[in-house]
Amino acid sequence: MSERVIHTADLSRLENNINTLNDNIGVVSDQVNHVNAEVHEARATLENLIAEFQEFVRKDQLEKNVQLSETRLVKVRQELETNFGHYGDVRRRVTGILQAVDVSLVKKETIANSSEEQMLSAPRYWLAPCLIALSAWLNDNEELAEKAMREAIRRNDEKTSLFFALVTRRGARYKSSREWLDRYFGLQDPHNLEREIVILIDGFTNGIFGPDARAKTGKKISAWIDELSQKTGFVEEQHEQWKTALESRLPKLDDESYPFLRKYSPTWSGLQSSLEGAKLHKIIGEYFNDIFQKEVSPAKNIAFAVDALLDTLVSKFDEEELPLRSEERLLSLTIQENGDKSRAQQLFDNEKTTEKRVSFTQLLTNFAMHPDMSNASIATQKFSIALSKDWIKTAHDDITAENRAGIPLQVDLSINQWQGKTEDGSNEGELTGSLETYMVNRCDEALSKVKLDLKHWAALAGGVVFTFLGFGTTFLFVLAAFCFIYFYLGKKNLQTRKDSIIAEFDNLLSNSREILRACLAEVVDYRKEYKEEDENAVIVTEFLESISPEQYSFSSFDTARAVVK
Amino acid sequence: MRRRPLLNTQTNSKVNVKVDSSVETRTMVEYTGLSLDKRLRQKRSHTYVEAMAKLDAGGVQCKHGEVAQLIQEIKNEFPDLQPYQFPIGIIAKCYLGNEYDVHTLDTKLDIIRHYKKGEGVPTELARGKSLALHPGYEFIEVYTDTLRAVNLRGDVSIIKG
Repeated sequence: MSERVIHTADLSRLENNINTLNDNIGVVSDQVNHVNAEVHEARATLENLIAEFQEFVRKDQLEKNVQLSETRLVKVRQELETNFGHYGDVRRRVTGILQAVDVSLVKKETIANSSEEQMLSAPRYWLAPCLIALSAWLNDNEELAEKAMREAIRRNDEKTSLFFALVTRRGARYKSSREWLDRYFGLQDPHNLEREIVILIDGFTNGIFGPDARAKTGKKISAWIDELSQKTGFVEEQHEQWKTALESRLPKLDDESYPFLRKYSPTWSGLQSSLEGAKLHKIIGEYFNDIFQKEVSPAKNIAFAVDALLDTLVSKFDEEELPLRSEERLLSLTIQENGDKSRAQQLFDNEKTTEKRVSFTQLLTNFAMHPDMSNASIATQKFSIALSKDWIKTAHDDITAENRAGIPLQVDLSINQWQGKTEDGSNEGELTGSLETYMVNRCDEALSKVKLDLKHWAALAGGVVFTFLGFGTTFLFVLAAFCFIYFYLGKKNLQTRKDSIIAEFDNLLSNSREILRACLAEVVDYRKEYKEEDENAVIVTEFLESISPEQYSFSSFDTARAVVK
Repeated sequence: MRRRPLLNTQTNSKVNVKVDSSVETRTMVEYTGLSLDKRLRQKRSHTYVEAMAKLDAGGVQCKHGEVAQLIQEIKNEFPDLQPYQFPIGIIAKCYLGNEYDVHTLDTKLDIIRHYKKGEGVPTELARGKSLALHPGYEFIEVYTDTLRAVNLRGDVSIIKG
């Protein structure tokens, strides 16, 4: 019974259905592949779009930062003017009085009266009682002078001592000047110096305080360095400090250089930072050279020179103004760096010129690298560099070695999804071969996916069937003709698609070949440029070895030779 | 009444008079941290630089005696350091022929090896490879945490990490 059932069962329909299902699965699989390729394409486009959008947002943010900083900078300056503007009057009056006395144009009473007014208008300010003391001294009123001086010392001992050291030196009272200087020195700790020590060192390097004081200050400075050097890790700290200072001069490579490597090499960031690091040698070399090439042009006479120092002392070094001055500096740096806040903050942190107290060696670094901010003259810059030359040399050697260790030996290339590597661009033949093979394989893969659809095969089969049947029913020939035409068109379209794929890949290959050639040419240029820039390292070393601090403690207001031990 | 014993009168304690040959007779100050950094920054002696520059003088096959001599040179250069403070290896440019790239002295394994171009150098020494290839340095001392590049004059540059 069961046998009979099996014999009579007709499975051909089932088989046909399974075949159809199989064909349908094939069609779906092709469609999935097609969709997959499209998704890949869409993702690439989207990633480009995201990158462009992020770049747009970044640029917009930077522009806004610049605008905000500019607005804020105006406000900070206004605030400085409002809060500390009246200090300006006192400041101007100090040099005014000194100069008026020089030429004896103003009556002593006038000086006394106007000084007292200043005392009232600038409470808490150390310079106001100094002004009274000065005018009392000019009027031979010893009691008032001493009283005012005590008040000034109470308000700010360091600044007052330095102020009177300068004023007495201006009046050629050498003995008093020395005593005030000694007092000032006695108040200093080389680990934590007051910022206005700049004035003293500037005066000393320019020969303001005379030969005795110069020798004395020179010895004191040597003693400070000796004392500081006793500390474990001091020298290492100096190297780090100088490394930071030198690295703050790192240049930025312009966006137009090496456009192909920038776009097609995943190693680009490493290449870029190495080249920027190598370009640093020339910048530092030129920077130091420029300083030492500059002539020190001393002021016409001691009075002018001291006035300039007094002016700096009274206008740049007041702690009350420090927070606003720091903010002013940070905002200026943000504008200078085109809105890049983190870079501005980093530069600001490196400068350390607006800190309340600094170590002596930090001060030397500031003099040498940020003269505008630390108010150092050319003579002071020369002296600082000469005094720190061993530390600078070691720091520079370390930077150079780090840069040399970091340069990528292999340059990776990624052109239209093809990957390759080159060291110096000499393996062009090998890379071109690899690129061609890759593109041919990709083309073959793409061609293998281009097939006739099931409907075309069905049309062919239909055409054959209708032709046979057409002998019975003539109009079926028409249908057969339609089917054959449909099949023919499908076949023709297939060839067109294949031709277009081949053309597309030919195009891609020739384009990629051009890009590869350009990349390799850039690798050759890059290696050449890097080598040239790297060789400049020796300029810095040789220059630093040629200078000595003794040469650069400068004398302009006396004829005695400087003896710095 | 018992008398108070005099100091150092007990004679039963044995005095060890045996001299351990492995212990150096001079006083060793152990450097650590910043003082070790400072010591390792010191200029290298001319003899040491010369000795290390001749790493490939013995040809591709290096005899054991030559390795021992180089290790001795390191000991002489750093007599005040403990052996574990010595460089773990030295890497330098190889001048044996065009096909050679760099050579290394592995101080732990007492081995000198010459590497051909494209041949992989062990990771811990490979850190110094690009620096070793630079003509500005004679050789690179590789330590666990730093590289110290030594030039012909014996000046030392430090690369951290």
